[in-house]
Amino acid sequence: MLKLDNISLIYHSKLGETQALKNLSLSVNDGEFVSIVGPSGCGKSTILNIISGLIKTSSGSVILDGQVVSKPNSKIGYMFQRDNLFEWLNILSNVKLGLVVQKKATKENVSYAKNLLAKYGLGDFTNHHPSNLSGGMRQRVALIRTLATKPEILLLDEPFSALDYQTRLIVQDDVYKIIRDEHKTAILVTHDIGEAVAMSDKIFILSKRPGTIKKIVTTNFDSNLTPFERRKQANFNTYFDEIWEELA
Amino acid sequence: MKNYSKEHLHFLQKQRFNVFFTHFCRILLLFCIFLIWEIVANAGIVDPFITSSPSRIFKEIARIAKDGNLFYHSWVTLKETLIAFFISSLAGFVIAVILYVIPPVRKIIEPYLIVLNSLPKVALGPLIIVWVGAGSKAIITMGVLICIVVTTISILNGFVNTNVEQIKLMKTLGANPTQILFKLIMPSNLANIISVLKINVGLAWVGVIMGEYLNSSAGLGYLIVYGGQVFNLNLVMAGVVILCVLASIMYFIIAGIETIVAKKTGSNN
Ligand SMILES: Nc1ncnc2c1ncn2[C@@H]1O[C@H](COP(=O)(O)OP(=O)(O)O)[C@@H](O)[C@H]1O
Ligand SMILES: [Mg+2]
Repeated sequence: MLKLDNISLIYHSKLGETQALKNLSLSVNDGEFVSIVGPSGCGKSTILNIISGLIKTSSGSVILDGQVVSKPNSKIGYMFQRDNLFEWLNILSNVKLGLVVQKKATKENVSYAKNLLAKYGLGDFTNHHPSNLSGGMRQRVALIRTLATKPEILLLDEPFSALDYQTRLIVQDDVYKIIRDEHKTAILVTHDIGEAVAMSDKIFILSKRPGTIKKIVTTNFDSNLTPFERRKQANFNTYFDEIWEELA
Repeated sequence: MKNYSKEHLHFLQKQRFNVFFTHFCRILLLFCIFLIWEIVANAGIVDPFITSSPSRIFKEIARIAKDGNLFYHSWVTLKETLIAFFISSLAGFVIAVILYVIPPVRKIIEPYLIVLNSLPKVALGPLIIVWVGAGSKAIITMGVLICIVVTTISILNGFVNTNVEQIKLMKTLGANPTQILFKLIMPSNLANIISVLKINVGLAWVGVIMGEYLNSSAGLGYLIVYGGQVFNLNLVMAGVVILCVLASIMYFIIAGIETIVAKKTGSNN
């Protein structure tokens, strides 16, 4: 289980200080898919950076499985808006990056990564360079790169926003399926309300800056539904409106 | 892939022709310049004693090739240039890495780099001769001085502008600073480094010839200056032509490496 306990964060820069987060607490259960929505600049990315151990809080702490997180940790994987694939490496080497960096590129782990590529339709592309892949495929490779080191929690910072609308819907389904199949906990940051409702079990709505939890919406869909199918359910619009009103 | 439409085949043919035409015109242009030059020199419209002419340059090259001077002087200059090029490229790279990994030092050094960059290095000529002694050493030093500052600044610039999100990604994967340097910063800057080397080739020639003008008893620069002093303009022109050829060969070697690297890294746009 992941817990953020009364977190505050102040950014310091030449121009002054910015309180990005104020007394924010939330918890995410193992295997849960949660989203964080909120107005732009309210501190969503900041929350992920704190969870990943990239930046330190001004006060409060992050607790993962009973331990305080203070620096990047192999239990946590991070996926960004852009895929950040290394153009000079082929797909397999890109996927192996985390394993190599963590000195865990054993035969077993590499074949695990290869299997993931094969399982999710990228088996024929292991020797290709990223420039030969479409945006949706690249984002899938980025997700598999994150999964290769077997993290427990995935942090997703608007990972679909750089894709065109149709691709986005498809990749949402792909990513959702992969995360569910591999039994990962996921925290998705998005400003797209529909995306949050379609993918999450629970949605944290943040206030304007300094960000703090304003409301939590729990969704209740048949667990077999894909995000795309969820969009066609009657209660999809109910959740959508509920969040919309909160953000308006 | 092979079943192109007629229209596409026509298009390809046209493209091939355009490429051929461009090459052809380039050679034709050179030929015309030489031809006109030759004619006006022989007709006495210009004084070949001052302007030389292609046939005279060619004869001069043949003459110095026969008595061994061509090879000797070319080799001296080429050697000095290669040494200056390798020393300045390597040292510039190492300095850039050091400045990149220690940001406070980078901040302190930055203004000095800018001043050194804008300083005309030839001005240091007399100083170099006094410090390292006349001859090859001074010439190589001149070459190195001209190249090294630009190399350092350009490579450092590339390093500093590495995609921040990719650095963040490496950090989240648990990479330490050394891994970030070797697995991200350096490979992502490879293309930039090679283009810096391309500029360096030209600069190394500039530095070495400049050095040879100032002080030398051998080399193409020496040959050119000597030719000027004894009013043998054929020799001056011959030196320039040989220099052109050597510099182009070196440039195309680096350009070839650049193409290979681009192909290997898949960034073939
Ligand atoms: N490194 C930084 N220095 C100063 N201010 C920052 C920094 N990073 C983010 N901020 C500010 O903190 C606030 C929250 O940023 P962020 O978490 O990126 O917002 P979001 O992801 O919700 O759009 C913004 O107002 C932003 O301008
Ligand atoms: Mg953000």
